[in-house]
Amino acid sequence: MTHHEFKVKWGMVIDLDKCTGCGACMVACQVENNVAPMNDASNKLRTLTWMLVYELSNHKDFPEHETAFLPRPCMQCGAPSCVPVCPVVATDKNEEGGIVSQIYPRCIGCRYCMAACPYHARYFNWLDPVFPKGMDKTLTPEVSPRPRGVVEKCSFCHTRLNNARQRARAEDVDPLDFPVEWYQPACAEACPTGAITFGDLNNPKHEVNRLIKSPYAFRLLERLGTDPQVYYMSRRDWVRYQGDNHLAHEKH
Amino acid sequence: MGLDRRGFIHLIVGGAVGTLFTPIPWKFADDLSIWTQNWPWIPRLKHGEEARTATISKMCAAGCAVNIRTVGGRPVAAEGNPNNVLSQGGLCPLCAAGVQMMYSPSRLPGPMKRENDSFKQITWDEAAALLADKLNATVGKDGKLAMISGDESGTINEVLSGFAAALGATDYYLMPGDGQTSSRVWTGLMGGEGQIGFDLENADLTLFIGADALESWGPTVRNQKAFSASRPGGEKPKASYIYAGPVQTRTAAVSDAWVPVLPEGLASFTLGLCYFLVKNGASVDTRDFDSFKNLVMSHYTPDKVEKLVGLKPDTLQDLSRKLAQAKRPLVVVGSEFGQGGGQALQAAGAALNLLMGRLNQPGGMIAMPEAPKVVDAALDRKDLLAKDLVSYLMNMEKGRAATPDVLMVYEANPVYALPQSEAMAKALAKIPFKVSFSTYMDETAALCDLLLPTPHSLERFDDVYTPHGLGFSAWALAKPVSKPACDNLNSADFTLKLAKAMNIDLGFEDFESVLQAKAEQLGAMGGFFADEAAPWDVRSGAASAEAASDVWDGAQEGKAWCSVATVDQRALRLGAEVLAKAAQPSPDVSYPLSVSPTLQLNVGSQKVATPPQNLTTIRNTELRGKASFVQVCGQTAGKYGLSEGAMVKLTGPRGECAAKVHITERVMPGVVEAPLGFGHSAWDAYTRGKGDNTYKILSVTTEPGTGETVWTGSKVKIAKI
Repeated sequence: MTHHEFKVKWGMVIDLDKCTGCGACMVACQVENNVAPMNDASNKLRTLTWMLVYELSNHKDFPEHETAFLPRPCMQCGAPSCVPVCPVVATDKNEEGGIVSQIYPRCIGCRYCMAACPYHARYFNWLDPVFPKGMDKTLTPEVSPRPRGVVEKCSFCHTRLNNARQRARAEDVDPLDFPVEWYQPACAEACPTGAITFGDLNNPKHEVNRLIKSPYAFRLLERLGTDPQVYYMSRRDWVRYQGDNHLAHEKH
Repeated sequence: MGLDRRGFIHLIVGGAVGTLFTPIPWKFADDLSIWTQNWPWIPRLKHGEEARTATISKMCAAGCAVNIRTVGGRPVAAEGNPNNVLSQGGLCPLCAAGVQMMYSPSRLPGPMKRENDSFKQITWDEAAALLADKLNATVGKDGKLAMISGDESGTINEVLSGFAAALGATDYYLMPGDGQTSSRVWTGLMGGEGQIGFDLENADLTLFIGADALESWGPTVRNQKAFSASRPGGEKPKASYIYAGPVQTRTAAVSDAWVPVLPEGLASFTLGLCYFLVKNGASVDTRDFDSFKNLVMSHYTPDKVEKLVGLKPDTLQDLSRKLAQAKRPLVVVGSEFGQGGGQALQAAGAALNLLMGRLNQPGGMIAMPEAPKVVDAALDRKDLLAKDLVSYLMNMEKGRAATPDVLMVYEANPVYALPQSEAMAKALAKIPFKVSFSTYMDETAALCDLLLPTPHSLERFDDVYTPHGLGFSAWALAKPVSKPACDNLNSADFTLKLAKAMNIDLGFEDFESVLQAKAEQLGAMGGFFADEAAPWDVRSGAASAEAASDVWDGAQEGKAWCSVATVDQRALRLGAEVLAKAAQPSPDVSYPLSVSPTLQLNVGSQKVATPPQNLTTIRNTELRGKASFVQVCGQTAGKYGLSEGAMVKLTGPRGECAAKVHITERVMPGVVEAPLGFGHSAWDAYTRGKGDNTYKILSVTTEPGTGETVWTGSKVKIAKI
């Protein structure tokens, strides 16, 4: 896996001690990215959840049991597993900001990327998008609905980044260093507990730059070397340990 | 010169290689990939000028302050409004799908009347004439007209209850909620004045007893924002949170501690905490303090509470110590699902806050002035909150109250969302003429004779005044973002027109002018816009704010009017005599398990079924295919021989429901956690027939001493099927 470095690295820090698992981020994501609703969404092999909130358990019996919730967008890895396996270069990490792209018209639906992604962040369209009658009037104007046979994933609401860059150029601001509130993905914007902080990981003016240095910050499956741009935080030891999928006999 | 075989091969190969140096194959490949994904049935994007309009989305009970993003005038998405204190930029999962629900397949196209088993669309004039005819027959005969509203905080209640009063009817009820129980306790049992709220933002230790405040209780998003502000990322938390209740709810999951308490034991638990405070010398200046003291010192000693609740005395003492050590402790009590909690719990919670000296203190329990009234004929807020719908319907069911001739239901779904729902539905079905103002074909609308759909909350004028749980008075305006997608008419405007046609003068021509009058009244009360200073900072003295000059203009811009005024109390009581009778749970051995219903906003609310976009948020340990799950811990599962995924029947005294079992240690032994929001029989293909309705197994008991209807801690038995 090739490691990609950029001057700007858009990333998230998700505070798991604040996430109540309410699901507002998932709904806001679907609305922003024009994901069509499914009649039977309990079949999780068919659903499209660019953002998915997992429920974690410390696996202890009552009353020692603890619960945490873990929202999982695309990790926008520094060394993405999905990019080298794509036979048609439909996914790449080649743009300032470090967001792993997904170019739908190029995708041939082979799903190698899905097999390669250790975070299960990629989804295949088994069906064409069907919106209830009239609901297509509520499609947001910048994200095309994807047809059957195409893989899709979280893009950190990339169209919002484009808009922020355009605004920066229009207002004569450096397009690599504009105010962080100009570009926030839908999930971070909607989150009612402010669990998701978004910004440029490399920019000391952004909160995320401070948060990733916290002793409580960690990334998922860090030892795979994928270098995710999504960080998590928790003061609870067991939550951090589970983030690295440790085996029972391993020391932390 | 002929073309020989070799020449032909040269031409073909050369041509093929040459073509590769032109854009033709690449253009073809590109076109092919585009056109194989470009079918006419794939929805196309529509572009247009973008704008944002601030309003209130009333999908959730409390209402979220939103900015609606429009493209070419079409609403496309809801975003939180950071300038409005009610949600401070956040969104609940229901309001996040609010725009999409404008095009829900369940939406009613226009006014309709029942013809045998189907509905026929009619005009609004025909509908008004039909209803006027029915209402004229009830004029002056109390008990012949009843109204149910599912909106606890809106001024529309003034229009509807004013209209009812003008027709001589007094049966105006709200769908049940903790706000009503709190009001009955504070202004009735305890002799207090004003509306009770909780200043979460200034508290340094908040103990939630029952109330799932960070998921669905009270003004959820504001609660979540207060929690968030006290937990700056990567820094030491500024405030602690403890949750006491039967299930490790979403609130408990992010709290510093979870204290497991049986649902029927919440009041005893709260009085058990009062014991330690009283023992340490805490007192309240009320006439009945001595009897209260005697009560807790004799009946709620740690060992007695252990017997009642199953909680170790050390845990209780440790908790009381934490409350004593905190500078600004706050106790927030409520039912786990926001209704049916009984008066004893509310009274015990208020007593605990009073014993800690937290009344009208920053970070404490606040008594706020009651909402002003603009429609003279309307019910006073206190009287509105005093009425008990469940008690009324039970009396009707048992023949103790007359069945009305006409029932009007506004934004409520009593056929689905009341305890022992099948019995309630039967009682409602007996009413000869039923009218629904619902936007959607819900279970109640499906039972009604006349459907008069009100526009979706983003298409109409509406408002929110201080939803229960808010620690300051607040008012925010909802205004139409677009024209109704269907032939709908605001129920308030329809009622005002109907009133006029029936020669009833409610003082207003349309609802917008009612709301304008409300704004004027609020302006006269003082208060300020919260974008200038946060009300909790004003309360604590950390900031000051200038009085709002034009409330209507500010509200149109999406600002919330706020006030931190408090009400002094003159003759408070602790309700000791009633508490002595009410707080003791009575064990019923034939139904050994307690139900703890969970209300999760991503699944829906009392009035709205799951929006299509929200289905993905439901885990497959909550709903799989057509079966919903109940949750029990390993100990309970072992006791009843239940395995993961087993199909079970839950039977209560007044109903039964079926579900699969998910085993999780989030639930305390002896308790079944059952989700609310499944088992719809109306609505649409996205929700209909999925899971079973937990409301069916909630059974109503009458609280000794207060007479309040209670359905928390409902009892059931469980059996494999």
